[in-house]
Amino acid sequence: MTLEPIPCLILACGNPLREDDGLGPWLATQVAGQFPTDARLRILAPQQWTPELAEEVARAQAILFVDCEANATPGAIRLTPVEPAGEIPRMLSHQLSASDLLALSRDYYGTLPRTALLLSIGAGSLEMREGFSSAVKSALPDAENVLVGTILRLLNAPPQPATPRPASAAAENGSGHNPEDAAADSDAPSGGPQNAATV
Amino acid sequence: MSQTITIDPVTRLEGHGKITIQLNEQGEVADAHFHVTQVRGFEKFSEGRPFYEMPSLMARICGICPVSHLIASAKACEAIMSVRIPHTAAQLRRILNLAQMVQSHALSFFYLSSPDLLLGMESDPANRHVFGVAAANPELGRGGIALRRFGQHIIELLGNKRIHPGWVVPGGVTEPLTPEKRDEILRMIPEAYANIKLALSAYKQIADTFKPEIEVFGNFASLYMGLVNDDESIEFTDGALRLIDATGQIVEDGITANRFTEAIGEAVEPYSYTKFAYYKPLGYPAGSYRVGPLARLNIVKSMGTPLADQELAQFKQLAGGPVQGSFHYHHARLIEILYGIEKIEQILSDPLILDKHVRAVAGVNRLEGAGQAEAPRGTLHHHYKVDENGLITWANLIIATGQNNNAMNQGVLQAAKHYIRGGKFTEGILNRVEAVVRTFDPCLSCSTHAIGQMPLVISLQSADGAIIDQITR
Repeated sequence: MTLEPIPCLILACGNPLREDDGLGPWLATQVAGQFPTDARLRILAPQQWTPELAEEVARAQAILFVDCEANATPGAIRLTPVEPAGEIPRMLSHQLSASDLLALSRDYYGTLPRTALLLSIGAGSLEMREGFSSAVKSALPDAENVLVGTILRLLNAPPQPATPRPASAAAENGSGHNPEDAAADSDAPSGGPQNAATV
Repeated sequence: MSQTITIDPVTRLEGHGKITIQLNEQGEVADAHFHVTQVRGFEKFSEGRPFYEMPSLMARICGICPVSHLIASAKACEAIMSVRIPHTAAQLRRILNLAQMVQSHALSFFYLSSPDLLLGMESDPANRHVFGVAAANPELGRGGIALRRFGQHIIELLGNKRIHPGWVVPGGVTEPLTPEKRDEILRMIPEAYANIKLALSAYKQIADTFKPEIEVFGNFASLYMGLVNDDESIEFTDGALRLIDATGQIVEDGITANRFTEAIGEAVEPYSYTKFAYYKPLGYPAGSYRVGPLARLNIVKSMGTPLADQELAQFKQLAGGPVQGSFHYHHARLIEILYGIEKIEQILSDPLILDKHVRAVAGVNRLEGAGQAEAPRGTLHHHYKVDENGLITWANLIIATGQNNNAMNQGVLQAAKHYIRGGKFTEGILNRVEAVVRTFDPCLSCSTHAIGQMPLVISLQSADGAIIDQITR
């Protein structure tokens, strides 16, 4: 079965019953509301990233991972490039990182997205309840702006080949991104993404 | 001085487990146990809830096989309501249950067990995971991912969610199937056939290299139990239970959900939170039995679908009677995936499959009800009592992992005795002991009714109980 390429994949994760962990699905819902008919965009928000998502990643020409970060300043927004994992964790059946998923996409399907970014927001609390901590609640409008701005930039990026680039291209570059994308990153909207930007 | 080996946690399982191996003064294995070390408590905290909430509450026991809990629970509720659900609802539930079986078996085989099968039991543990599978046989790995997608997408199409769909309710299902969804499922079928045929072919080549493990991985005589139809074909959602002995003779047939506790009892052991199910007339532990893919294939005369029947005929050639070796759970799992794909295709051709009448409605007409279904790992039984307002006063769940519990312990002991000599063992040997447990694909979250990751611990203890060595994953 040939799977259709996805111009822009938003892959959020989190559990809305674990307070700030639910910000990934929350942001995904907001974005789905802002781009209701854009067929170039695919939005997924499972509770955890699992190996089968590698197939979706392999279809993506650009991917934007969205997750909370437990070991960061609460409410801090960061947009960073993601590289395929080098070291592989031992227990992989139920929970993977963005880097792991890129590595699986490379190893199983021989492809990597042209651009791979991670939008993370520092978690203030991961208790068993719904809603967000005050720090994350204050950060959500900015996080949503960064997310929407990045999506617009990715969707309006210069035309690329119809299929994602082969992993070998990444190997040649020694990186998960090609040089053109690094340039595109630097053209990000004000307040939006830079390479490893803290917003 | 005798010793004890502890494997804690046991890896690549659903839930938390631990293995302890006790050595005697000569360093030979004296005893071994598989411990389930987590507690959930679903039976207790469901007390006081309205019975009609039970399916969605019980489904939260597990993220891998929530559909089985949904179905067994809904059937128990329907016994309380005294209703028979519409034909189309029953057929749609079958599709949902088979889709779950396909995705769960794919997870067990491709993610959890294929690293051992493709890379070898002695391979570097740092590579025994899905990335190692990618390096060894990426086509097979992609096939596994696609089979997971196949099952999960059907669940999502029918239940609107991949995990914990709320579509199955007491009395039937909430929404009928649309032609668009039916056609989308049918479009996925050819790819699913291609992937399972690839996996079956690869497994048959690999299995020949595991003859030593096949001999000692839980290879012993036991009883077997599972659901069958009236025509003695395999069944996952309806039918009645059949119990056979190690020679293939039927011990008891036609065990319906309301007769289940007449036939099956539960014992407890001090080393595990999971109970040990047994056939009452034979007592415990003599009445211990096995459930799940191996048991299901042993008890049936046919699969009821052409391609799976061809595979079943080959499978039954592995032994003169019931296939005893637990290693063959892997093979049985793949045959069941093939069956699931065929059966889903068959059911979708039912002229009534798009019928709009999919739910029966009733209140409390009995104060007690039981339901059963086949989960991927084996038979699942839910049993409830309610008051006149329909509030749960008592609940008991007898799940597949509890029914395989004694067999898993026997299997661990058999493998430990074979491989550990003179108190000496290697990582590869301990991996084999773990792999015995993996053949059963136990779901420990279901069986104890944990929060956290899913790690296993192996520990080596002396005769006086001192821990000599311990491996924690």
